[in-house]
Amino acid sequence: MRQARLAALGATCATIAVAMFISAHIVRGQSQSTARSAPAYNPYPTGILPSDLSSEVTRVQREVDLVESRARARWKGLGRPTLIGQPPVLQNAGTEAIETLGELMLYDRNMSPRKNQACASCHMPYAGFSGPIPSVNLTMIAFPGTVHFRAGKRTAQRHPYSPFFPVLQYNQEQGLFFGGNFWDSRATGYRLRIPDAEQAQGPPVDPLEMGFPDTACVAFRLSQAVYRPLFEMVWGEGSFDIKFPPQTARICATPGGASVFGGNTTPVPLGAADRTHANTVYDRWAQSIDSYEQSVQVSAFSSKFDAFLAGKYTLTADEMAGFKLFNGKGNCNSCHLDGRGTTLKSDQADTSSAALVNPLFTCFGSANEGVPLNPGDVFYYQTKPDPYGFIANPYGFGYRDLGLGTFLRSGFGSAPNPNASWRQYAPRVDGQMQVSSVRDVALTPTQCPTTEAPGPYFQKGFFHNGYFKSLKQVVHFYNTRDKYSYPVTSGHCPKGTTEKLDCWPMPEVRNNIDMTSGNLGLTDEEENQIVVFLQTLSDGFTKPYPNRDAYKGACMSGGSAATQGNEFLISTPPLPPCASAICGVAPVPSPPIP
Amino acid sequence: MSRALAILAIAILSGSLFAQVSPMAPEAAQVPIIEGPRIELTNEHLTIITWTTKNPGGSPVHYGVVHYGTDPNSLIETAKSPIRLNPDHSLTVFRVRLDDLRSQTAYYYTVDSMQATGKSDGVKSSVNRFTTP
Repeated sequence: MRQARLAALGATCATIAVAMFISAHIVRGQSQSTARSAPAYNPYPTGILPSDLSSEVTRVQREVDLVESRARARWKGLGRPTLIGQPPVLQNAGTEAIETLGELMLYDRNMSPRKNQACASCHMPYAGFSGPIPSVNLTMIAFPGTVHFRAGKRTAQRHPYSPFFPVLQYNQEQGLFFGGNFWDSRATGYRLRIPDAEQAQGPPVDPLEMGFPDTACVAFRLSQAVYRPLFEMVWGEGSFDIKFPPQTARICATPGGASVFGGNTTPVPLGAADRTHANTVYDRWAQSIDSYEQSVQVSAFSSKFDAFLAGKYTLTADEMAGFKLFNGKGNCNSCHLDGRGTTLKSDQADTSSAALVNPLFTCFGSANEGVPLNPGDVFYYQTKPDPYGFIANPYGFGYRDLGLGTFLRSGFGSAPNPNASWRQYAPRVDGQMQVSSVRDVALTPTQCPTTEAPGPYFQKGFFHNGYFKSLKQVVHFYNTRDKYSYPVTSGHCPKGTTEKLDCWPMPEVRNNIDMTSGNLGLTDEEENQIVVFLQTLSDGFTKPYPNRDAYKGACMSGGSAATQGNEFLISTPPLPPCASAICGVAPVPSPPIP
Repeated sequence: MSRALAILAIAILSGSLFAQVSPMAPEAAQVPIIEGPRIELTNEHLTIITWTTKNPGGSPVHYGVVHYGTDPNSLIETAKSPIRLNPDHSLTVFRVRLDDLRSQTAYYYTVDSMQATGKSDGVKSSVNRFTTP
């Protein structure tokens, strides 16, 4: 009993201490407004965080600011469009106005409690709007958020062409899910009818990312933004007629998930009308960013392959061979639809008609390719409370990423499923991740022309958990996953084998593994030709890709694409059973996941 | 020309051109097995059974289904694995994973396939046998 009292007293003191700490911290944060004052959070074993993390985060901040300044110049060049007609339209410059507004938002570091994290901090143009820090892609794979160093669980998914994904639907006739955004499709588009827009509403209030404690904080910070006049020009005067209480600045400077909020997800005390108004601003935020991502600034259709489709470029022998393998022996276009039929054998002719539009290289569906668990994923180690009392992953290595399956169950680490009728299908989609467009998968900074060693190359991380470090490895996995499968976890391949070369560890989730691939019979040269073809899908060939020159970091060089990054492999610890909060949620996975 | 571009741009901006599902091939009246079934690989942790049929058509995702057991008269276990169908291809390869079978054991199996909706393709397969290493 006495021990219980002491424990309770200790817990109370700890809460008070944290609250006092946060209050003091907020005062400092208001005066400095940078991440420098943020308390360190480092529950990680040696080797998880890259040694250059802090300097690389600072480098990206400078680049984000550079692109933001370019967007500001674009805004200033807009002039003042005239609002005319019924319904009213910003004649001539309305499209560019909303796209520029979205661009200004995407690169605005003020959209985080510490004013240190923009959307673009994890999605820079020179990486095809995926992760901009090579050493992060090589090691921890998820990018640090506003609190250094909380981080998410997956790689930063590419933006280009994501606006073209339809609203998530379950097609009764085909028995399949289509659409949505995010790896697990949790941005369904059910309300705004644009999954990409609803995707843009996730990271600002994800405690592991930009980390606001309340969506109203976005409206609050936008009301203070230098580009507020542009917002009001696009969305109307009076958009920010919201009575924010005096404590709003303090609340919005505190990261989400902090224990001081007691689980309250709307800590900014707004009246009903003001809350509705703030919600509307948040929807406008989402729609503006979607406009930018759908524009030619991001989804440019300016690749070699687009020029080829237009009859303005002749593919080289290797590129053409890779294209034929992509929709032939490699069978890649069974999911990454390229507008062509599939010719699996050399004596078969492709009789499909030419694509009516530029193909998007996705089926908008999801698949489980049987990717091994990546023990480098920083998420597994965030089992202790950070200085704000927040624990990202109480299950440690008991966490399993079931992707779409967990979302349908409204499960841990995902989002509420808005459609109860979908939940029954969860066991059929466990382990499935979105089939991303392969457009821009190979896009890199101007000065580092490839993703592949020996380079000079820009290090990326591929698939949802970044297990693969080169496109060669990705293609080799599709080709040999089953041929070289071993019942081991990453870091434990048998003596005499080399991981990713002739040893593939067991899948993280072995339910619903897609068997279209896994033993394709491609030669080494054919794998390389598919990689060469993938490189024709990078935007920036027919015209420069905007802001591809923003990268100020270094290129990497040396080694082989087949074993790229293997020097950073770490041993997976003995895995505990999948946590019941993940694998024990009805309808439970079938067969059970160990 | 500019009007055509404008129409295309509007269509793209609205997402209408892309808000589509995968193309479907017509369902085949019969789905004969052309090759197999056979054991593609078997080791101490994984067995893969593969066979090729006429393209069954229907939903873009199909499941290969294996009914198996140690008694040829009682195939009480079922394994199924999804594959993506190619609507323009005349043949379809099915591959099914069987995890963690008992070692040095004789197994019997038949194969079938079905659409993602659960509708069977009506494949007829004899009972086959293999032994794990």
